[in-house]
Amino acid sequence: HAKKGKKNTASNLVEEYFEAHSSSKVLTSDRTLQRLQTPKLDQETLHKLLEQTPSAFAVELQRINESYEALFFKWMLQMHLGFNIILFGLGSKRSLMENFRIAFLKDYIHIVVNGFFPSITVKSILNSITEEALDHAGSFRSPLDQIDFIVQKFRQDPSLELYLLIHNLDSQMLRGEKSQQILGQLASIPSIHLLASVDHINAPIMWDQTKQSLYNWLWYETTTFSSYAEETSYENSLLVKRSGALALSSLTHVLRSLTPNARGIFRLLAEYQLANKDNPSYTGLSFQDFYQQCREAFLVNSDLTLRAQLTEFRDHKLIRTKKGADGVEYLLIPLDLGTLTDFLEMEDKET
Amino acid sequence: MRASEIPTAALVLGVNVTDHELTFNSLSDVLQDNVTPFVVLLQSKDCPGIKQLLQKLLTQLMGNSADIEFEEEDEQVTISHRKMNCSLNSLSGWYKMATKKPSSPKKKKTSSSTHWHSPPVIVIMKDLESFSASVLQEFIVISSGYVMDFPLVLIFGIATSPMIIHRLLSHSVSSLLCIELFQSMPCTEHLATVIDQLLLSTFFPFKLSGKALQVLITIFLYHDFSVKNFIKGLQLSVVEHFYTQPLSVLCCSLLESKKRIKNLSLAQCENLRHLPSFMRYVESQTPENQVKLLTSDVFLKERTEEFIEMLHSYHENYIPILKCLHLFSSILPKYPIGKQVRELYCACLERNIWETEDYNSAFLLLRMLAKDEIVATLQKCVAVLKPYSGKPLGSALQKLEEFLGQFQSLEENVSYMEDEETSPQKALQKKTDLYQLQKKLLEMKETRSAKKPTKFELLRNEVVDFIDGLVREYLPPPERFPLHEVIYFSAAGTLRRHLNAAPRVALHTALNNPASYLKCLESEGGSLSKTAPDICIAYKLHLECGRLINLYDWLEAFATVVCAADGSDSELSVDEITHARFIRAVSELELLGFVKPTKQKTDHVARLTWGGC
Repeated sequence: HAKKGKKNTASNLVEEYFEAHSSSKVLTSDRTLQRLQTPKLDQETLHKLLEQTPSAFAVELQRINESYEALFFKWMLQMHLGFNIILFGLGSKRSLMENFRIAFLKDYIHIVVNGFFPSITVKSILNSITEEALDHAGSFRSPLDQIDFIVQKFRQDPSLELYLLIHNLDSQMLRGEKSQQILGQLASIPSIHLLASVDHINAPIMWDQTKQSLYNWLWYETTTFSSYAEETSYENSLLVKRSGALALSSLTHVLRSLTPNARGIFRLLAEYQLANKDNPSYTGLSFQDFYQQCREAFLVNSDLTLRAQLTEFRDHKLIRTKKGADGVEYLLIPLDLGTLTDFLEMEDKET
Repeated sequence: MRASEIPTAALVLGVNVTDHELTFNSLSDVLQDNVTPFVVLLQSKDCPGIKQLLQKLLTQLMGNSADIEFEEEDEQVTISHRKMNCSLNSLSGWYKMATKKPSSPKKKKTSSSTHWHSPPVIVIMKDLESFSASVLQEFIVISSGYVMDFPLVLIFGIATSPMIIHRLLSHSVSSLLCIELFQSMPCTEHLATVIDQLLLSTFFPFKLSGKALQVLITIFLYHDFSVKNFIKGLQLSVVEHFYTQPLSVLCCSLLESKKRIKNLSLAQCENLRHLPSFMRYVESQTPENQVKLLTSDVFLKERTEEFIEMLHSYHENYIPILKCLHLFSSILPKYPIGKQVRELYCACLERNIWETEDYNSAFLLLRMLAKDEIVATLQKCVAVLKPYSGKPLGSALQKLEEFLGQFQSLEENVSYMEDEETSPQKALQKKTDLYQLQKKLLEMKETRSAKKPTKFELLRNEVVDFIDGLVREYLPPPERFPLHEVIYFSAAGTLRRHLNAAPRVALHTALNNPASYLKCLESEGGSLSKTAPDICIAYKLHLECGRLINLYDWLEAFATVVCAADGSDSELSVDEITHARFIRAVSELELLGFVKPTKQKTDHVARLTWGGC
């Protein structure tokens, strides 16, 4: 009977999946964030505002954290016995791992890797191991050579020991197959001890059986409920859309350094794009038309100057070109309407 | 075999890729000792292109031969450093040079490879499935051109099925190979060996309880088939046992533990008194004994020594008897109490096996065994118990000796009773269906109740009863013994949590029901409340949505929940703080992988999970 019940819930889940994905039509309202008084918050105000919010569960969270800190001795023992520790659960595990580092790793060589940092690469991790831990200044042709070198070094010198703390092993930069393979090889060296944390719900998908056996994980649930302040500060894809302020400020910054004529050219394009905002078939302004308009406004005097100007815009990612069906190049500003309107308003104010 | 064919061995190793490393290492050792000094191990991750493959091959080959003929080391090293020039041409040139040396005066070094005129170069591809087809094909085509001067032998390690060779290699390439298939032992057999040597042995004092063993076996059978992981689980349970159980100091050989009992500290004695099994024992004692046990350390230590001795002799008897029972259970049709010894072991560890239904039906079947089966099994049992008859193994021995005598006399008896026995059995032998047979036998038993049972039947019943008695005497679960906690590791939950964790479940529980972590929320029950952490509120609201979520509506709902207590002025004025909290919650959900930004519609996010669990 129980089995049957289980089967039922499973088939329900499947049905729900197909229900959710059955029609391409989306049944949500058409309201947008533009309706808010302040549709955009930039990073700074966000931080300021969040600092004002009181944390309601300070005492409870402290108690939970202490219960995890009681595990530190065990982690140390298990890492020495060749296991690697992985932490999962809701909440940032940064401060917990930092506490562990402060309490236990003072006298050992250790490297902290911030996986959530957007420019982290496996190569930089390997470099910091060879340079800081092994005092080797030379460079390597490939990560594979480098890992061979590291394995050899650690095998030759059994007194060498290294603690590797990786925050967010499942971050965008490290979740690739190759990076995980290399990190797994690092973790499988007996005298390298790895303590890592994962947050993404699908993190275990990164590893096949071979990699999992390389890592030799022991899983520990550490649900801390603390906010992902550091981790999400880089996760700006959702914020950028709303905090168009960032894009706007960079836009004005770039434009301010240009000649009046160049600003005029950009303005012309922006105005044209705004004028066509309700036209769904609008694909941009073709170069010839644009040249014509610029000439009429006495902004350029030759085909060449306009092209040079557009190249400069393109280098600053201010415009995008698209080939139309007729082979003609169309010019577009890759910004949403709100930002563009704000930009024009600001320009008007200044002039 | 044509001259240009490359001899190839395809090893079908099974899906437990984690265990293959050991297999390959011992294989290459054996090959190196008995066949040729030139063995190369290649892994797909080292060979993304043909160049890297050849490079790896070259460095390993020259390194290998340098290891063996280290007199020529200097020369070899210089060659291996010239990595750039690695073609099969230079390789075969090197090979000629390397094999020429053995024919020179110093003969003793080549003793192993003399019967090979020229020792083959063996290349082992550890994981054939992950090699890129083009690299493999190129390598085979190139090396087939050199196979005359460069005797290459390939070994493919295959995890799935030999079909993969034909899927990876085109016909023209695979026709260059002369493939011979080899099958490895199934991983369950390896597991059986590990269990037999590690767990069913008195050599190791540490034991697993039924539940813990069950967890490890489940992980093995349902997840990875990896013996290495099973051993990792064993290691973890050893670590956990000796870390958490303060009395695990007594988990050692009998002699050693006697020494340690003498040196037990006061605190350890108190620990002993607090063991549940010990308390149970105390309750069963007379009042004056109870007082003594609870107050006198000397008396306590004496008893502890007895208990530990008891446990050790229990194990000594347990294993042979378990093996005997297994011999009987494995000849039964449909294996009511398990075919593998591990199943039987788990069952015996967890409860009194003779109280289970399966056991009773198994013994009903045993009472119907044919004569030759019963004799053969008894002979096997005798073989199992033989080693225990010679050595004086404590109190259990007398019983075993008696047991042996029974077997021998039975064999003699049976041999001259044969004629009488066949006739009543004959009528039954036509029936093949087991249940029919059982029914028929029951009927016959009733109808012949007046009739005297034959000597064979009497004897058979006697034997079965005896086995039954043995099982009842020697295979009770360890929980019956005082101080079993010292030796048995029973925290199955810990094993499961640390080896086979479910991060998604943990996240869901924390988000859906934060009260299970934060005690101050407990009074709220399951409903959505404004006191819960922001991310939990946002999560619960997003569960109600379909594939796409409108950010504005989501924010509005969030604000409604958060500001519920502020009164009636919920007139769509989302203040900045709420907005900021919402942004934080959503970006955290994005980091966790529940939503992602989408371009399908303005200010929408796509949901990546489904169902409103």
